[in-house]
Amino acid sequence: MKKIGICLISLCGLAFIIPVVATVALSFMNDGKLSLTGYNSLLFDCFPFYTMFWNSIFYTVVITIGQLIIAVLFAFGFSQTKYKHNRIVFMGYIMLMMMPLQVTLLPNYIGLRDMGLLNTYSGIILPLIFSPFGVVVMIQYMKGIDYCTIEAARLESSSAIRIIISIVLPQLKVCIFAVGLFVYAECWNMLEQPMLFVKEEKYRTLSTFIASADKYTGDIMLPASVFFIIPVVILYLYFNEHLEKGLSLGDFS
Amino acid sequence: MTLGDKAYMYKKSKLSWNCRCILCMIPSFIGILIFFFVPYIRVLYFSLINNQFKKNFVGLSNYITTVQNEYFRLAMKNSLLLIVICVPLLMIFSLLISLFIANIFRKRTFIRTSFVLPMVIPTASIVLVWKMIFPEISTVIPIYLLFIWKNVGICVILMTAAFLSIDKCVFEAAKLDGASDFALHTRITIPGIFPTLLFCNMLSIVNTFKIYKESYLLYGTNYPPNHSYTLQYYMNNHFLKLDYQKLSTSAVLTSLLVFVIVVVGLKIQRRYSW
Repeated sequence: MKKIGICLISLCGLAFIIPVVATVALSFMNDGKLSLTGYNSLLFDCFPFYTMFWNSIFYTVVITIGQLIIAVLFAFGFSQTKYKHNRIVFMGYIMLMMMPLQVTLLPNYIGLRDMGLLNTYSGIILPLIFSPFGVVVMIQYMKGIDYCTIEAARLESSSAIRIIISIVLPQLKVCIFAVGLFVYAECWNMLEQPMLFVKEEKYRTLSTFIASADKYTGDIMLPASVFFIIPVVILYLYFNEHLEKGLSLGDFS
Repeated sequence: MTLGDKAYMYKKSKLSWNCRCILCMIPSFIGILIFFFVPYIRVLYFSLINNQFKKNFVGLSNYITTVQNEYFRLAMKNSLLLIVICVPLLMIFSLLISLFIANIFRKRTFIRTSFVLPMVIPTASIVLVWKMIFPEISTVIPIYLLFIWKNVGICVILMTAAFLSIDKCVFEAAKLDGASDFALHTRITIPGIFPTLLFCNMLSIVNTFKIYKESYLLYGTNYPPNHSYTLQYYMNNHFLKLDYQKLSTSAVLTSLLVFVIVVVGLKIQRRYSW
């Protein structure tokens, strides 16, 4: 019974990894033969690729760091203040986190339009920095950290920022890695925001490059996909062991 | 303040500690207010007026036209089908996998990676291969499989975390009393991780609304075959036309749906948690 189970799960696991492996393998093929022509034409003939690749990196790094800072600050403040309405605020954040993109996209768009931020880098970055995912996870995680050290630190310093940096951050390390990885993957994967908030190609990301495949010749798409996979896989391999501990998200009761 | 708190002599400062903590919370509040809350109120307003220029208040008539719209109904039907068919499958599948991984395999194995990795892999990069594996687009199966492929990871992580946090003594005690493996899981594991199961359920339902991106990439068009025309296509097509009234009406309707799902989920979670 156990052995059958192991076999089945292993088979499923293999099936799950096939699309990724196939993408990488097929990117080296051309007309059934091993060749690098795809990489050649992508890297030497297709200049939009570079702009979009760096755009993707830029957006994701800025958004991830920004969201982490906002989330740590908020979660710290939230866990230190004990108001009656804290639970309602938290529920509000959970609700916002669960809202699908299509609901938040229009409010975002209207907000950006009114501030004249459409067609700018900040138009894509700002709404995502404030997205509530990081906040919710951090608050959940902070329920389990050691508050005696914070109390002790308050005897020495009255600066919240200093206490956060020297006392809270070390305890939050695991959660920060997990949230960071998750946010990074989400932003790296975003498609609607760059498609709808910016018009010019110089602001767009790699995901829109791949989505507009029909504009370019076919054989550069698979190599582009491989370049698209690499950064997240590297990050995943570094940080994946923290995922279970960091995303203790399930129980809000 | 409790008596214990008063016993400390905190470092004196002009700003009270409470003020400082609230200052920490301000950036997030402002962001949410500017980019989500206030615009959402305006969306609500847009859904109640007849058009951008006349701004006549028309009550619920936008809602009525939207609900009667044939494409909105088709989209709604497909979205609900996705929820009814895929979410239970996804839940059972990820529960089995996380139990197997937590019990049998050691923690960081190739198997776990292969289930969790799809969560972070950008969909755009695997759709090409997906199209090769499933050349037939006249059925809805590729989308369903893509949804499961993409979402098993987060469910497995959350469920594994919940499972590992159950006290092992409970299992030991039950084993001493002669409980079978099956009973161990149905009587201890499932109730133990029930809040998490519920949350995964909510998350997956909400994620079905997000499948638009995958489906858009797969079909490469805003007008997919009828069986895959989900709510997001309806909304995105109106987004491209910037038809604010229809768009805000369906945004409000979708947000109400999610609101109900989340509120019900959290209520049940509070009631049945340990």
